[in-house]
Amino acid sequence: MQKIKDFYNKYKVIILLVLFVIMAVIPFLGIETLYIRYMCNIMMYATLAGSLNAINGYSGQMCLGQAGFFAIGAYTGAALSKNFGVSFWLLLLVGGLLAMLIGFLVSLPTLRLSGIYLSITTLGASEIIRIIAQTWTPVTGGTMGIKQIPYPEFFGLDMFRPQYYYYIFLFLLVLFLFVTNRVLKSRVGRAWMSIREDQIAAKSLGVETSFYKSTNFMYGAFWAGVIGVAYAPFVNFIDSTQFTTDVGFNVLAMVVLGGQGTLVGPILGAAVVTILTEALRFLESWRYVIYALLLIAMMWGRPQGLVGASKSMLAGGKIKVKEDKAKAKAEGGSAK
Amino acid sequence: MGYILNQLLNGICQGSIYALMAIGYSVIVGVVGMVTFAYGEVMMIGAFSAYYIFIYVGNNLPLAILAAFAGSFIIGIVIYKLCYERFFTAPRHISLLCTIGISMLLKNLAQIVFGPETKPVLNVVSNKTFNINVFGSTLNIRLLQIVIIVLVIVLAAALTLFFNRTKYGIMLRAVSQNKDASYLMGINVKRTALLGNCIGCGFGGIAGILLGIYYFSVSATMGSAYSMKAFAASVLGGLVDIRFSALGGLCIGIIENLGIVFTAATFRDIFAFAFLILVLIFRPQGFVSKKGARV
Repeated sequence: MQKIKDFYNKYKVIILLVLFVIMAVIPFLGIETLYIRYMCNIMMYATLAGSLNAINGYSGQMCLGQAGFFAIGAYTGAALSKNFGVSFWLLLLVGGLLAMLIGFLVSLPTLRLSGIYLSITTLGASEIIRIIAQTWTPVTGGTMGIKQIPYPEFFGLDMFRPQYYYYIFLFLLVLFLFVTNRVLKSRVGRAWMSIREDQIAAKSLGVETSFYKSTNFMYGAFWAGVIGVAYAPFVNFIDSTQFTTDVGFNVLAMVVLGGQGTLVGPILGAAVVTILTEALRFLESWRYVIYALLLIAMMWGRPQGLVGASKSMLAGGKIKVKEDKAKAKAEGGSAK
Repeated sequence: MGYILNQLLNGICQGSIYALMAIGYSVIVGVVGMVTFAYGEVMMIGAFSAYYIFIYVGNNLPLAILAAFAGSFIIGIVIYKLCYERFFTAPRHISLLCTIGISMLLKNLAQIVFGPETKPVLNVVSNKTFNINVFGSTLNIRLLQIVIIVLVIVLAAALTLFFNRTKYGIMLRAVSQNKDASYLMGINVKRTALLGNCIGCGFGGIAGILLGIYYFSVSATMGSAYSMKAFAASVLGGLVDIRFSALGGLCIGIIENLGIVFTAATFRDIFAFAFLILVLIFRPQGFVSKKGARV
């Protein structure tokens, strides 16, 4: 593991460039359209999971309502582009900003809350958004949803084939990774991480925790909104059943499976989950059973996720400082 | 006026079922110390256990309730072994994700085993209706509603007695207050937590079949909507306090049913969460007066 890391650090630019070129030429290799669609799905979920990871993994707040922000982006994009013909590229920004605004509103009550109270509030907000989408018929189409969402246009080119979406999602993913990487290395990102490690200590060192927790929420919501805008024309039909809490849980599973608090983790998690659910399709109704079993097995075997560092605070019981071990013994000893 | 009164009655009846769910949820969260997202599926299992009693034995309500309790109790053991036992000291999101996994597992397994269609539960309690004149408007009380409310009150009283008068109840309370201290007092913490989880699940199962009787149907996907409500009701009550959780459940039931009087029925599910968020803004600890154990 360490060797891979060293190698990566040494040739960082070259590796990233090669990876990028490989990703960029994939649509030209004559791969079937179906697989390109899967790739699109993976990159979309990778960005969505990444946006959740920005909240859960970096500031340690347990947000479960990412599906709600995603829905806001999707509905904003679909409704505005269909009814007013607003350009897709402008909508990316509008949808993101609107989701950010809602994220800010959601973060207001959560500033005083922590742990599970925060989770249930975000979950509730996500459900409220979904039900509003289901009932506000003039704008969201109600239970009928929005059909035939206009394709994004790129200098007069209608982007309707999955190959085009491939580049949209790739662009968004790379942009997301780049921006997030920069943000995390800035003062803001360090503030988020300090809140994750120890909120009281962070506060005592002058980190304005409420402000940074709120910005953290807004940042995560923004990207969920952006990817929602791109999602709507990609599937060409949205309705409220696509944004249930189960979707939020699924994204959470991607984040935790891949490894919270890492940039690569959510991408890997999204890839694994998407490929797994597609590969297990032949099992028909058993596939979610298998998926659930694998999820539990993963939590037993490698709770820190696929790429998560085992020393991380989010990693769980495996490697811990000595005091915690003694405590674990004290609590668990009686059962033996 | 009569409509509002009837809706209030519906609210109290539904609220008492929610109260039962919330009681079970609070027992789990209080004793185990971790939240669960598999609660809806536990309710579903309870409902199906009772449903098969109705099918194969006949309309025997006490036996069905026992079966619901037993079925969910057994699922409770599985959930405890898979989701909690190893993860007492691990970060919270791990056991949380395990319960999400269990929820997905049970939901899909139930669709395979029991079938995906909604199954009718009819004529368990006779359809008798009492018409009472209140302030010049008629109040229609169904026998079913009386049965449900009385059942919930009896079960809550039984649980209170169990918690206050028996050795196991006292052990459960001790564990929910402080795990380390109760370990030092010679309590088998793990087994007590298992018992608490199972009792909570059992109550969830009973609430599940009561919902089935109330809506005349059970289905494999019935759980998720109600698990959110149980969660919300329990959070309203401060998560670990049984009495306040019951109050939270009752409040949510009443608010939902009064809410749809003034808006459309499709908004039903919003009220529970909107009310919850409103309460949490002003009282982050829920209804409880003192700041209890934060979970």
